[in-house]
Amino acid sequence: MNSVASAALTSWTLSARVIAILLIASAVYFRGWLRGRRLIRQEQDYLRLWAFLGGLGVLFLATESPLDAFDSLFLSAHMAQHLLLMMVAPPLVLLGHPTLPLLRGLPRRFVKEGLGPFLSWPLLKRILRSLTSPPIALLAFAVSTIFWHLPKFYELALRSPGWHAAQHASFFWTGILFWWPVVQPGPGKFRWPRWIAIPHLLLADVLNTVLSAFFVFSGRLLYPTYEAIRASRMSAQDDQTIAGLIMWVPGSIIYLVPALVIAVKLFSPVVPLSYTRRARRVSAPRVSRTVLSRLPQLRRVAQGAMLLLAIAVMANGWWGTQVAPLNLAGVLPWIHWRALSVLALLIVGNLFCMACPFTFVRDIGRKVLPAGLRWPRWLRKKWLPAALFVVYLWAYEAFGLWDSPWLTAWVIAAYFLAALVIDGVFRGASFCKYICPIGQFHFISSLVSPREVRIRHSAVCKTCQTHDCIRGNDHARGCELYLFQPKKASNLDCTFCLDCVKACPHDNVGILPVAPASTLIGDPYRSSIGRLSKRTDLAVLALLIVFGAFVNAAGMVAPVMMWEHGWHAKLGPKTMPAIVGVFVIGGAVLAPLLAVLACAGFNRLRMAGPEVTRRFIFTLVPIGVGMWAAHLLYHFAIGWGAPWVQVSSVPTWLTSAQMLVLDAGLLLTLYVAWRVANQYTRKLRSALALGMPWAVLSCMLYATGVWILFQPMQMRGMLH
Amino acid sequence: MVTVFGAPAPLRVGVADLSVMVQGAADQNSVLDAKVRLHLKRSSATNVFEIVVPASHAAATNKLLYAAHVNLPSAGKWNLEVGVTRGDLAASASGDINVLPPEPPLASHWLYIALVPLLIVLFAANQWLKRNRRFRRFRVRP
Ligand code: SF4
Ligand code: SF4
Repeated sequence: MNSVASAALTSWTLSARVIAILLIASAVYFRGWLRGRRLIRQEQDYLRLWAFLGGLGVLFLATESPLDAFDSLFLSAHMAQHLLLMMVAPPLVLLGHPTLPLLRGLPRRFVKEGLGPFLSWPLLKRILRSLTSPPIALLAFAVSTIFWHLPKFYELALRSPGWHAAQHASFFWTGILFWWPVVQPGPGKFRWPRWIAIPHLLLADVLNTVLSAFFVFSGRLLYPTYEAIRASRMSAQDDQTIAGLIMWVPGSIIYLVPALVIAVKLFSPVVPLSYTRRARRVSAPRVSRTVLSRLPQLRRVAQGAMLLLAIAVMANGWWGTQVAPLNLAGVLPWIHWRALSVLALLIVGNLFCMACPFTFVRDIGRKVLPAGLRWPRWLRKKWLPAALFVVYLWAYEAFGLWDSPWLTAWVIAAYFLAALVIDGVFRGASFCKYICPIGQFHFISSLVSPREVRIRHSAVCKTCQTHDCIRGNDHARGCELYLFQPKKASNLDCTFCLDCVKACPHDNVGILPVAPASTLIGDPYRSSIGRLSKRTDLAVLALLIVFGAFVNAAGMVAPVMMWEHGWHAKLGPKTMPAIVGVFVIGGAVLAPLLAVLACAGFNRLRMAGPEVTRRFIFTLVPIGVGMWAAHLLYHFAIGWGAPWVQVSSVPTWLTSAQMLVLDAGLLLTLYVAWRVANQYTRKLRSALALGMPWAVLSCMLYATGVWILFQPMQMRGMLH
Repeated sequence: MVTVFGAPAPLRVGVADLSVMVQGAADQNSVLDAKVRLHLKRSSATNVFEIVVPASHAAATNKLLYAAHVNLPSAGKWNLEVGVTRGDLAASASGDINVLPPEPPLASHWLYIALVPLLIVLFAANQWLKRNRRFRRFRVRP
């Protein structure tokens, strides 16, 4: 192969966004296809699977292969790309009969509650039926084809990536409409007679022939850009002729062959096909269950690994270079650990507490320490960890913890000592439950996690005599945080230690899926916690963590740093800790206080008391977690390879990903607030009035978050 | 023959992708074994900016081109000189390119903000349809 050809063949665009969309679509279809096969098996199943995946493969080829890299140089490459998008990918996708597998592949609750009302909406059904009717589908296909080949619009698409994407999307989707009456993928019976597909295809072929003949024979150069570039010896006019031939010959074959097949089938005698086998259910292997059920054994291994890492971090912090991006203490805790633990919260649950090295050392120490006293009653609230959390926010900025490996090492050492001393004296997991600010962060944030340590069947617990999950037994201790499984709701105060999983003799506890943030919607009695609507201390802690997300992120953007340094220059040296203190107290304490007072004032107009206020405060948790995740994603994206790999610039996809995370946080907050408001009143207007102040507050937080994300940020964890 | 492509179009302050196509003058075939260097220069009343970067196939999506990712620090007219060497042969071409001020972040990310009201409207429609269905179910027929 000559060098030009091999260079051409290695020119793949490979956009992460397109690949992610195609992979998600394949995964959803495959999951639905598997579920469908558990109900009923058909001979065409594999054919459909390969057709659908093949259709997505063709989409990948059209948008990511060298065809895409060369479409701005050669009209012929661009035409081949369009042919794939309009005439090959859509029929293949439809041959996969995608509607049912895609619906089965999505979460059931989402399909039932979210999509169900739309799918059964008569108006929408009518619209879809008319869009896929042969005359309208053909018209849409023809208009899209002609419109985008008019020189003005074609050149526009060549110049602008946005319009180019719109052009490709309209080719693909009108292609789907056009091929629908031909393939008739269902579900349900198509209302038009089968023969209608023949004139439908023939008319499309006429349009295709006229258009391609114009490309070949007009003698006019339609798109001057190709002439201006002249990427090869071939003239732009010859390139246009080849493009016309590509459109003409393969295009006509693609239209005429199915028309012929349908005609032959119509005139053949009908042979009834027994294509279904006996329906049978096949039980699915519970992959997630088998993996997660091994976690109790893996916990000690994870804790041991984290302990080794903590020792390495401390040693490097004390005795290594003090250039933070080159020191484990400047990189591992502040970039990797924070981002990965939030990622774990969003994907599974409180995995950091599960692998906590501090409790590992504490457990070893307890072999000799008494650990017999009960934690003082007057300290059994969250005020102390709430105050410690504010101290953390302040110290992080005021002493530049992220930039000081030496201080970081001391903070970690102090943590080990505190856990050892406190839990060496007091019973249970007093340090985790009543002191550790990191633990509180994870407890509150894990309210939006998609998994929870909970019971499988309440009926089993009702007949249980031993209650080992809380009392413990010979081979496992009971819950040290006093969470009694049958009455436990949500991840609050749960360290994911899995002692209860090991202790339950009926194997009735597991890390099971829950809808994110759904535990915030109700207000049941929660074991060892009570009702959220009665817990001012927990509500204040949640508020601090929510507003703390914005304060922590704002502390590293240019306008805030300039403000701090401006005051520092005015007030003199050594005043920075006080200035940061004013910023942290203002942002994380006073701002939420005023905001909540304002919202509570509006709610009071509707006779709602402090219990309602407390419940709505918890609805803000998702947007707070969204902001933490967006912020920490930034650090991780630029510092993931440190101290060995230094990224030189901010990746282009980063702000988009951060915006998506923040969007998800806001939407979840609004949804939970709406559901909570509906629990107090059945009337639409009253529910809107009750939830509105909190919706406005969350939108203001969102706007603040967007503003922060758009500011130039200090690139911590990188060498400058 | 040298052709330069720039992305984004139009070029703006920030990271730009500058790609160069080098073709033989006689046969217009792509030249793939040359060394290509970009020299960008802009002088304003107060500053002189000068950037020199090599362009390579590795940085290009289309491997027939030579590309470089350049961080353009200021808006205005920049002079771009492309230097091409191949063995003993050397050639260069130059011209002006216009760099616009950076796009406000809202302009490039408005879609993500618009997603929120869009999904809220869809949710409102969902709730409306559910309520309607419930009413329809309980409607008494005469
Ligand atoms: S979780 Fe297990 S030990 Fe606890 S009450 Fe239920 S069955 Fe008993
Ligand atoms: S409920 Fe208790 S024992 Fe079970 S995982 Fe959570 S903290 Fe551990």
